[in-house]
Amino acid sequence: MAAIEFRSVSKRFGKTMAVDDVSFRIEDGEFFCFFGPPLSGKSTILRLILGLERPDAGEILFDGRPVTEVGPAERNVAMVFQNLALFPHLTARGNVEFPLRERKVDAATMARRVAEVAEKLHIGHILNKLPAHLSGGERQRVAIARALVRDPVAYLMDDPISALDARLREETRVELKRIQTELGRTLIYVTHDQEEAMSIADRMAVLEAGRIRQIGTPTDVYDRPESDYVARLLGSPMINILEAVGEGPQVRLAGGAIALDGAAVPAGTVRVGVRPENLALREGSDATVYEVEPLGSFTVVTLTAGDERLRALLRGQPQVVPDSRVGLHVDPAKLHFFAEDGRRVAASAA
Amino acid sequence: MSTDAAKAPMSAADSDRKLGFYLTLPAQILVLFIALFPLLMQLYISLTDWSPLTGRGWWDAWAFWNTFGNYVELTVDARWWGALWRTVLVMLICVPAEFLLGLALATLFIDNFRGKRVFYSIILMPMMVVPAVAGYMFFMLFQSGGPINNIASALSGQNVAIAWLSNPNLAFVAVVVADIWQWTPLMFLILLAGLVGVPDDQLKAATLLGANWWQRFTTIMLPRMKGIIVIAVAIRLIENFKIFDTLYIMTAGGPGVATETISVYIYKLTTNDLAWGYVAAIALVILISLSIVLGIAISRQARAGEGAA
Amino acid sequence: MSSIHLKALTKSFGNFEAIKQMDLMVRDGEFLALLGPSGCGKSTTMNIIAGMEAPSTGRVFFDERDVSDVPMTRRGVGFVFQNYAIFTHMNVRANLAYGLRMRGVGPAEIDRRVAAIAEFLQLTPFLDQPSAKLSVNILQRLAIGRSAIVEPAIFLLDEPLSNVDAAFRAVMRTELKHLQRQFKQTMVYVTHDQLEAMTMADRIAVMDHGVLQQVGTPLEVYNNPANIFVARFIGSPGMNLVPATLVERDGALLADLGAAGASRPLEAGLAAAARAAGAREVWFGFRPEGVNLAADGQGLAVTITFLERIGSRTIVHFDAAGTAGKAVFENDVPLAAGTVAQLVPADALVRLFDRQSGLAIGGA
Repeated sequence: MAAIEFRSVSKRFGKTMAVDDVSFRIEDGEFFCFFGPPLSGKSTILRLILGLERPDAGEILFDGRPVTEVGPAERNVAMVFQNLALFPHLTARGNVEFPLRERKVDAATMARRVAEVAEKLHIGHILNKLPAHLSGGERQRVAIARALVRDPVAYLMDDPISALDARLREETRVELKRIQTELGRTLIYVTHDQEEAMSIADRMAVLEAGRIRQIGTPTDVYDRPESDYVARLLGSPMINILEAVGEGPQVRLAGGAIALDGAAVPAGTVRVGVRPENLALREGSDATVYEVEPLGSFTVVTLTAGDERLRALLRGQPQVVPDSRVGLHVDPAKLHFFAEDGRRVAASAA
Repeated sequence: MSTDAAKAPMSAADSDRKLGFYLTLPAQILVLFIALFPLLMQLYISLTDWSPLTGRGWWDAWAFWNTFGNYVELTVDARWWGALWRTVLVMLICVPAEFLLGLALATLFIDNFRGKRVFYSIILMPMMVVPAVAGYMFFMLFQSGGPINNIASALSGQNVAIAWLSNPNLAFVAVVVADIWQWTPLMFLILLAGLVGVPDDQLKAATLLGANWWQRFTTIMLPRMKGIIVIAVAIRLIENFKIFDTLYIMTAGGPGVATETISVYIYKLTTNDLAWGYVAAIALVILISLSIVLGIAISRQARAGEGAA
Repeated sequence: MSSIHLKALTKSFGNFEAIKQMDLMVRDGEFLALLGPSGCGKSTTMNIIAGMEAPSTGRVFFDERDVSDVPMTRRGVGFVFQNYAIFTHMNVRANLAYGLRMRGVGPAEIDRRVAAIAEFLQLTPFLDQPSAKLSVNILQRLAIGRSAIVEPAIFLLDEPLSNVDAAFRAVMRTELKHLQRQFKQTMVYVTHDQLEAMTMADRIAVMDHGVLQQVGTPLEVYNNPANIFVARFIGSPGMNLVPATLVERDGALLADLGAAGASRPLEAGLAAAARAAGAREVWFGFRPEGVNLAADGQGLAVTITFLERIGSRTIVHFDAAGTAGKAVFENDVPLAAGTVAQLVPADALVRLFDRQSGLAIGGA
């Protein structure tokens, strides 16, 4: 059990800074998610935690103790790979035992640890089967059991479910969350799927090109994005980021399709973010409907206004006709304001 | 206490590499010795007129120093030029023939068919025969009263008694036939690997776009095999240049010098004339020329390889 | 453009029945999604339409023509592979021109048509670049362009967005749909992602284990699933199905969900259909949205097991007398894991399925 901390860690490969001055602290027992687009440094951070890479600068601490000089085997951090990497010639029991066998643990202790872990993950009844005879979900739990049997400080997963069918992904991520909550062990998870990250993480770190742009709970990061970069990455359909034109009494967005009361827009605002669920349609002629995607419980409407493409998320199955003209309405309380450099501008208390 | 960026610690991967270097150092030195030492020795001798007939050891070769005399002699050695010409002729006939035959055979093996494994083994057999044994085999086949003439007689109804190996031109043909028989399987193997590596869905996409077999072959399979073709042809060119065992057993370079290739000529110089200084010079010239040719081919391939995927 | 008609199709690979019996009609100019989990036979169906596989029995018609014996090279079908199958040893222009070259079209005509389609798909700046290292976005457009340039009657797409990361996928979906609508191209699209199918298709054909489960518009399939497979598979999340017994009470028909309590009286139309079918043991189905929280005593008693907050909405996982279910609420829903709550599904959204057969009772 340990808190894992990075202090100003950097790692360079050739000319690129894969990890650039990264600092964070993962508390014991947390389900912490590193989220970002491909090549943003998430996997490198995992490798640094594991000890497979050494930082060029900064410190890595487990529970306050520096582990930069400690090799991967001694750090006691376990990894579950995307392809699970189960040994096909060993039974589930053989796989789970393996890390203990490596350390020459005596048979009695080994059997006890395996039984404990198997019970926690509900795989006791399949221990004697070969991986080839197990379902995908069972194999995943065996892989997690193998990671846990050494009683690691934390276990790591690098994008473990992206290769699964859509439905299976949804079920498996709930399963993973349930397992982690029951076990209470720190789980560090990497993904590029925003819905996944928001669903399972206790806290998450949003990355861009090796830097951390924001750390917080999923609610924090979704409701109060600190930059337009973070706002864009979270939420589906993607948030509408619109150039704000004009100052004074009226600020216009999307070529005039949306008009805001100037007083409600804080100084320094260059762009305004409107989440699709906060964009409503009504009678009018502000925008043209480009496409309508009926998804059953909600409908995504893509609109063109001025030069911009906007997306609205409507509840239920309203009648919207492609190529028709509609009016737009936004809730001013739910807007996000961003400055020239992309940073959030606090809403003025009007 | 933070680590100084200036003396950043080595990552696990870096220290592994260093350890690897040191562990293999003894082997590296050994290989260097085995490769480099004979080369230097050869260079040394090639600058002299030494021969074991002089009664002195090779280290005393300096006593017979003639600087580049051997190299000069080479340029006016008519027998050398003849051997070189014959070798080039062999290459120009054998390698393309092996390539085309190998490619044709390989295309037959892309898909599965009954008895594929059996045919596969049959095709590979010639390559597994010891070259000297193959030489003797063809020697017997091409005898005046041998099987080849007998079959020709049976097929044509007349008495065919061609003296293959005593006729300068026919001996050349026989030698070429033997080489093609023996080494087509190698081309077959390499080209088959290349063919099989062509992505199946690209072939399907081409078919759906209306391409027939020949069009797929020329627009998809061959272009994607450029790298492998270059390697296969380069390998065979170099090996073929050195053609010896089979040929020597069949004809000993004869009749006369009709089938005397470079390797045969060198062999005779070494064992009959014992002109080892001269031989060393020839060997070095060959080594350098081949290295240059191969180097060009490989670097062109490496550059081309950047483009294709 | 053509319509596609699959008649009495079956396909077996040795002992494995990939397609058990399929009759499917794709209308001229329609965007049809073949939707189902891995191994349901959707890719096999598509391969049969393209001519890459021959059916074990049955025929394939394009419009009125029987094309079952027409070889792959001459069916005039455009195909976009899952990983695009771009000819990576050629540049973009050569890829686009390929189909026309194979048909012997003259070089001037080829140049003209390549330029036109590149312009339309915004590929013009990339025309002379090698195709190997381009981004997925461009490769997808190139794959479509390469097939479209020969003006096929039918376009087949095999999960073309599965290699694209989530953010881009939504944008590409909208674009594809828009393209199809503009050109009225007959398109058959294979996917395992029901969201993708719902987004893009005019009609969805849902398959499972080689059998067609239902064919209908996205909203038809969503609002009136034909059986429990479709009910569960379609929707984010899928429909909740709780085992129940139908009972008469005070002249109304309602569903008894055992420990979870009883439902409200069923709507007249549904009740009539259920009575007519003589149904008793049923699956009580309701979609996760349109569920209201009720005051004590009313509604279905459930235990909240887990809350999943994903951006604009919160998915509440619950347990109803041993059956797991989900409900979608706004983010400020006053529920917590471990507590008990009363849920009332909207009457109009309740569906019933026969417990034995899994088939829907009544249609709406």
